Amino acid sequence: MMVKLLPLFFITCMAGPLIGAILPDKKNPAVIAFTGAVSSLILLWLSGSLLLSGRTFVEPLWYLAPFGKLVIEIDRISALFLFICGLVFFPVSIFSAGYMKQYIGKYSLKSFNLFFHLLFASVVLILIAGDIFLFFIAWEAMSILCYLLVNYEHEDDEKTRSGFLMLAMSEAGTIAALLAFITIANGHGDIAFAALRSDASALGHIARWAVFLLSFFGFGVKAGLIPVSSWIPFADPASPRNISAILSGVILNLGIYGIVRINMDILPISFVGPGLIMLIMGTVSALVGILYATPERDMKKMLAHSSIENMGITIAGLGAGFIFASSGQPALAGIAFIAAFYHMANHSIYKGLLFLGAGAIDCRAGGCHNMDRLGGLIKKMPWTSLFFLTGALSIAGMPPFNGFVSEWLTLQSLLQCSVLSSKAIKIVFVLCGAGLALTAALAVTCFVKAFGMSFLGMARSKQAENAVEADKTMTVSMGILAALCLLLGILPTYVIPVMDHVTQPYVHQSVTDELVPPFFTVGTGNNKFPKAFVSDFHALGAQIGANELPGRGLVIMHRGAARNPVIFAMSPSYSVVMLILLLSGAFVVVRLFTKGRALVRKPAWSGGIRKLIPDITYTATGFSNPVRVIFATIFRPITISDPRETVSEHFRSAIKRDRKEVHLVDRLLGKPLFRGGRYIADLLAKMHSGSVNAYAAYVIMSLLIVLAIQIWW
Amino acid sequence: MTKWVVKGLKTGIKTTGYPGIHETAEGVSPGRPGVSGIEGTEDFKSIAESCPADALTSTKDGISLEQRRCIDCFRCSRLAQNRITRDDGYEWADFTAAGKPLGPAFTRSVHIRIVDAGACAACLSEIKLMASPYYNVHRLGLFITPTPRMADVLMVAGPLTEHMRLSLEKTFEAMPTPKVVIAVGTCALSGGVFGPSFAAQGGIGKTMPVDVEIPGCPPPPLAIIHGLLLASGKFRKQKDGGAL
Repeated sequence: MMVKLLPLFFITCMAGPLIGAILPDKKNPAVIAFTGAVSSLILLWLSGSLLLSGRTFVEPLWYLAPFGKLVIEIDRISALFLFICGLVFFPVSIFSAGYMKQYIGKYSLKSFNLFFHLLFASVVLILIAGDIFLFFIAWEAMSILCYLLVNYEHEDDEKTRSGFLMLAMSEAGTIAALLAFITIANGHGDIAFAALRSDASALGHIARWAVFLLSFFGFGVKAGLIPVSSWIPFADPASPRNISAILSGVILNLGIYGIVRINMDILPISFVGPGLIMLIMGTVSALVGILYATPERDMKKMLAHSSIENMGITIAGLGAGFIFASSGQPALAGIAFIAAFYHMANHSIYKGLLFLGAGAIDCRAGGCHNMDRLGGLIKKMPWTSLFFLTGALSIAGMPPFNGFVSEWLTLQSLLQCSVLSSKAIKIVFVLCGAGLALTAALAVTCFVKAFGMSFLGMARSKQAENAVEADKTMTVSMGILAALCLLLGILPTYVIPVMDHVTQPYVHQSVTDELVPPFFTVGTGNNKFPKAFVSDFHALGAQIGANELPGRGLVIMHRGAARNPVIFAMSPSYSVVMLILLLSGAFVVVRLFTKGRALVRKPAWSGGIRKLIPDITYTATGFSNPVRVIFATIFRPITISDPRETVSEHFRSAIKRDRKEVHLVDRLLGKPLFRGGRYIADLLAKMHSGSVNAYAAYVIMSLLIVLAIQIWW
Repeated sequence: MTKWVVKGLKTGIKTTGYPGIHETAEGVSPGRPGVSGIEGTEDFKSIAESCPADALTSTKDGISLEQRRCIDCFRCSRLAQNRITRDDGYEWADFTAAGKPLGPAFTRSVHIRIVDAGACAACLSEIKLMASPYYNVHRLGLFITPTPRMADVLMVAGPLTEHMRLSLEKTFEAMPTPKVVIAVGTCALSGGVFGPSFAAQGGIGKTMPVDVEIPGCPPPPLAIIHGLLLASGKFRKQKDGGAL
């Protein structure tokens, strides 16, 4: 049994810090890379086999006196999240070997080694926990380890502050989530998830709403949901880049896992309301995330805002799925859930890749991460550029990379709202679809800027000019993630059945046939595929190469037996083959026609100016300024003008102008909250007059009140 | 809006028929001095000296006029009444000694990059008129482009001031071959009244090979179109007008 590997995983995970403790600090990066990679490979093997077999593995551990039995439970949902976790940890571990070298002598690498492996173990423990106690112990451990790793460069006060913000928000979310679990348990003693499932069916309508809201906003803190995700734009940039990749690629998923675990598994949502809230909040998160990412000039902050955007798309997809499921559309629900999980997996991979790319730049361009100061890196760091470009294309949703498949599926499933009966819900779907489409468009702008301004053009600073290619370990790890981006993009027909496995227990239906129908092998006697339907496709040429091609190649949404059954269809795997054929064909044809011609290379046309200097080239701020201007009502920038008058009133020696932006959430939600809190504090402060007599009176009054309660209650 | 449509329909086509039909409308050419018929032994010397641009030279048996230097001030014709004739044509462009047209591939579409090399704006004003509805060069497949990368023809006006020399050289360098340089106006041909000086080169011919010269101060739009047709290879010779 594959699960025997689980103890092996924890042993390798713990071996890392132990070996590291013996060896000197200098050797620690290599240890992290080795043990991290080995344990993630074990995890991938374990979760992959469970994911494919679809078995649920339950193992009681031991009895803990006041709480009950501790249980390990790995079902398909856990296996999927474990697999994604392994996919991110594997390259990040390898990346650390090169990346962490810059900290030698500055910060303790032994402690990093310990925290890194402990975080890995705690994340896995969260995902395999089968009862509330184990889940929350692991969750707390994860939160604290995240804080320790975000605050790794602890000599920088800014980073410590970001770490504390993250820890505070995360703890508030944990309390809400814990309350959700307690509401489900409803006073029953058993804390295992299996017992909770049976308890949950007895809950009333209000309790169900409470569970949903608590779990959604509680886990939403970790998932990057917009009103409660203020920590992401601070914590992600503050941490070392490999930890940023983990935060965005793994920790955010844990929030989704919490939401999914409660609302799909323990207490399945059975009415439309929660789905609507998820859909709307997801769309708002996506829009706000990308709106703040696009004009951002700090690469790390931009990536952090973009994480909020991608998590928003995932949550919107989940919301659409819940709505379809509770309106009696299991097939569409399955498709929406698949799209959401697919997008989450994609986000983990490409955001990990982009953060590692940012780390490689950070490491090799002298700590420069301001895109206005970068530029021209494609000549200095060709491999990093190639992989960053892959990541940027994926996140911008360009075929044949993975972002395209999942964003496209999400939008298509939203478009299927016409089957719903309620007009109001239809309107919400259409508006959210439009919002997500705008998000996708802005994402393209954002990442054209990110790649174009950082890697193309001229170097705008000394650091960028002196950049050198990253270590082998760094480029190889980015290469692994880039290859995954491409694979998930061109092989959706193999990924979708696996995702379908995960959603099946909730929607009670497999949608593999609805999404990736087996045209080649379908027989005549199949109910789902009548003869006319199949022959329609054969007429289109779907049968070509039936015996040569390895498997299903077409992602297609169809209405089964109806006339004109196809709603949409795409085939990334075939189109990538066609793309390669056409491109190489075009290349050969052009070569044939221009064989005799001499090639003359001339410098780039720069408008005939005397000398092109980097200062006058286009910057990231300039590129994204239209977005800033168009959405000025949302950004509400405050211009700070600081004229310094030294000679006299009439001669200003320097005028300093700056722009300050308060994040939408802080402006709309944070400010009133703080103001209210302050108002209450001011009221309470009036009691503290400073006179001893007054305090004596308070003591006597409270004594009297306590006595009164004791007597008359 | 309907008024415009009706008015437009009533007005009909006003665009010139050149080069298919020889344009004879009034005002299409400002005219330029001609020297035919000046003979005899009068005080040619004083007439020649009156020319501010040194375009006139007195010879043994008359006077010669160099159109590349003439600034069309007609001072000479005022001095020597009825002696200096007036040329009211416009097909004034001609190839230089080394000038060659673009070639057969360019007879239908030519892209032009215009550079102001210190012109007084008169030539540029005439160049601008080429694109107006009356002349409408687009019907001939002539297009003005903002980048030299896509240009086949480099059209330069002005005496080439020092400040524009490097830019013009860079523009010429940036153009793909085959390329043709057209010098528009007296200044671009010979420096005009500015001549070679500390601030100007005195014509662009000293910096780059000019293929087609369009004299005139400024040359009218039809003369410029004639020069472009020569450069594109639609006209084989200078006096080939009217045969497309």
